[in-house]
Amino acid sequence: MIALLIANSLALASLLIMLASGLALIYGLRDVINFGHGALYMLGAYLGYTVAKVTGFWLALLIVPILLALVGIVLEFLVLRPLKSRSHIEVALVTLGLGIILGQIIIFIYGGEARSIDAPAILSGSVTVLGLSYPVYRVFLILMGLGSCVSLAVWLRFTSSGLFVRAVSQDPGVARMMGINSDQLSLLVTSLSAAFAGIAGVLAGPYLSIDPGMDIVMIVDCLIIVVIGGTGSIAGAIIAALLFGFVQVAGSVFLPNVAALVPYVLLMIVLLIAPGGIGRGRVLN
Amino acid sequence: MLGHASSSFRVPAAIVAGAILFGLGGVLPGYLASDFTLKLANEGLLLGLLALSVAFLMSEAGLVALGAASIYGGSGYLFAIAMSEWGMSPGAAIVFAFLAVVAYGAVLGALIVRTNPLAFMMLTLAAGEMIRHVVMLEAVHDYTGGADGLVVSFKGAILGMQAADFANPQHFWPIGWTAVWLIGVTLWSVSRSRLGATLRAVRQNEERMRFSGFNTYVPRVVAYILVNAVAAVSGLLHVLNAGFVSPESLGLGVSTNALVAALMGGTAGSVGPLAGGLIFAFAQDEFGARGATQLLTGAAIVLFIVVFPRGVVGGLVAAVRRVLPGIDRPRGKT
Amino acid sequence: MLKIEGLSVNYGSLRALADVDLDVHDQGVLHGIIGPNGAGKSTLLDAACGRRRPTAGLVRYRGEDITKRSVAWRRRNGMSRSFQRTSIFPDLTVREQLELVAAHLGDDRLDDIIRLMDLGSYLDQQAGRIAYGVQRRVDVALALLGRPNILLMDEPGAGLSAVETLRLFEHLRELVSEQKIVAVVVEHDVEAVFACCGMVTVLDLGRHLATGTPAEIRKDSRVIAAYLGSAA
Repeated sequence: MIALLIANSLALASLLIMLASGLALIYGLRDVINFGHGALYMLGAYLGYTVAKVTGFWLALLIVPILLALVGIVLEFLVLRPLKSRSHIEVALVTLGLGIILGQIIIFIYGGEARSIDAPAILSGSVTVLGLSYPVYRVFLILMGLGSCVSLAVWLRFTSSGLFVRAVSQDPGVARMMGINSDQLSLLVTSLSAAFAGIAGVLAGPYLSIDPGMDIVMIVDCLIIVVIGGTGSIAGAIIAALLFGFVQVAGSVFLPNVAALVPYVLLMIVLLIAPGGIGRGRVLN
Repeated sequence: MLGHASSSFRVPAAIVAGAILFGLGGVLPGYLASDFTLKLANEGLLLGLLALSVAFLMSEAGLVALGAASIYGGSGYLFAIAMSEWGMSPGAAIVFAFLAVVAYGAVLGALIVRTNPLAFMMLTLAAGEMIRHVVMLEAVHDYTGGADGLVVSFKGAILGMQAADFANPQHFWPIGWTAVWLIGVTLWSVSRSRLGATLRAVRQNEERMRFSGFNTYVPRVVAYILVNAVAAVSGLLHVLNAGFVSPESLGLGVSTNALVAALMGGTAGSVGPLAGGLIFAFAQDEFGARGATQLLTGAAIVLFIVVFPRGVVGGLVAAVRRVLPGIDRPRGKT
Repeated sequence: MLKIEGLSVNYGSLRALADVDLDVHDQGVLHGIIGPNGAGKSTLLDAACGRRRPTAGLVRYRGEDITKRSVAWRRRNGMSRSFQRTSIFPDLTVREQLELVAAHLGDDRLDDIIRLMDLGSYLDQQAGRIAYGVQRRVDVALALLGRPNILLMDEPGAGLSAVETLRLFEHLRELVSEQKIVAVVVEHDVEAVFACCGMVTVLDLGRHLATGTPAEIRKDSRVIAAYLGSAA
């Protein structure tokens, strides 16, 4: 029971980590929260649906992130860079508006009904671990989540671009004096963050449903995670995603009647105890 | 609302002009406009009130609330439930609903105003979604009607008017018009008061305010409570006028519509957001027929922030000042 | 008046201030704090005024331990400060911000302070649009409102020319002696400090090196070795 609970929450947290860490990365560099992130995830899911029909799941898992990375590049050049001198709130509102537009375009093309895609044969069915039968696809999700955490950590810790990202996130002023070009970094981070949203979208296909409301649900969950994690802290976002996944899954098991509210209760408790979140992000003025 | 009267002998003139405008505006549309136009205009007024609540918080405190709809729709739900389930009289139910959502706003505000403005924006979005989830819960389905919403009708009279009067566009217009004026003038006075100056100073430099001996937390909580009270009035008038509440009235859609109306009109002052509400209502009628309301919302947010950050009314005022310099000496309201 | 006991401040693993004691009590005299970059001068002010929680140690004000008091409490009770990076309200006019703060702190000497800081001709301009030197005077004026007992100033001369700095210090010395304020000034410009301050404290690498009159400090061998060099 407990093992199943933890496995399920890890599966959900895997998706959330991919999305929330992308949000936190952009925030760290640009002080901007991308309210359109949910729409990018939705775009990833619908593109995944279409591409998988033609090429199958595996190629979709490769192609869609590349397409989303291109969208991220467009976002960087057409939105974040031209609006650099505007207040963070204004830029956040613009991303909110763009997210609504993108969501509406997707609904216009695909219509209102929910879609689903099947997991590839090798990932369907169940596997028995320690006497417990568990869906292979969720094991795959957990591995993907773990993989993205590890690659994120390796990138941030052991590469020069990762070091620069950490430097800018901690102190943009000092980083600028060190001659770090935050525009180039932002291009990298924004496209990476969009690509991760694409991966999460494709992965969500066989796991959750692909429907018109998925962008709002996901962005709200991610915003809660980012706030709980301490805005801009990547480690905080990962821990918060795990926590969120756990209370969400545990809530649906133990408190099925009010499960939808459990994440909000978690949020309120964290805000009461630590208004800045649990991680040590940079506090902004 | 009354314009910037900058010398003392012009103040009475402004008040007289305002009174005439108020009187004419309250009466004339009833004779001139069709029922359909009036119905849209009523919706526009109420959206304008909601936009005013969003805009006041933006321009005075620098905070963007994306959860205005939860107060707006929530007050309607509470009004309906207080009458049908708890047997309150219509008048008592209105007072109860108003106080309950304002109290909720106070608790929420006390919690989230402590964070930074960006986190505040995220948290209001999350809190709004939370209320929508509450209404949709299976456990309260008997109270809220779930996804179907509730038909709200009352017996007896509120302020001497029957349910049918509130639903009648001609009869409702003067009520909405009066509410808009009262609230518009009130918020305009607040922004001119010490509280307004304190809020704007905190928005510009929170640390310096603390180093000047100010409590920077309480004024922002007070502002948040104030704008929630405005949103609650708008929501209560809406439910009286429309005769139903639904989960949509609580959702992000209504919150972003109010935001767009505020941005369209311009967030500074009272006239802009109210005009924005009217513009939005008529534009929505145009675009909504083609199922593109949301698209309009998204595009308008981007357009008005990037290209016309002062909004229609703000832009007009600036244009008039350019053409007729000295028409009013701008008194550095920020 | 202001007594700092065993004050330490850590930034992560970096120790910015280590066990510093300081007693400032002379009313009407400027007390200068000097020291090389990274000596902990600004950190000392931040800890004294409540902007930064000390890792260890106490801040006493009129004998009372105020280490845990809020910034706003300290200000309302007479402890004020100005900032190295000018901290004003850019969108308000000079008059609006001075009036707002004066009204809040119940200070009726606004006109005196405007005259003292020579701001009369800038009152109706937006503070964000006036020259930097004038902004610095607005910053100091904001700190002077409300009859503070203690005034902590972080490099009031930053960004000003040597002549302007000296003139500002003359202003400050007059003001401080007139109002019997206890004033602490962190300053880069050693000559300005020696010219105008009655007492001087030298910090080095987060430690208290010496406190004394300018004449004593100039002769102090430890100070010369660590900071002033033979030229002083």
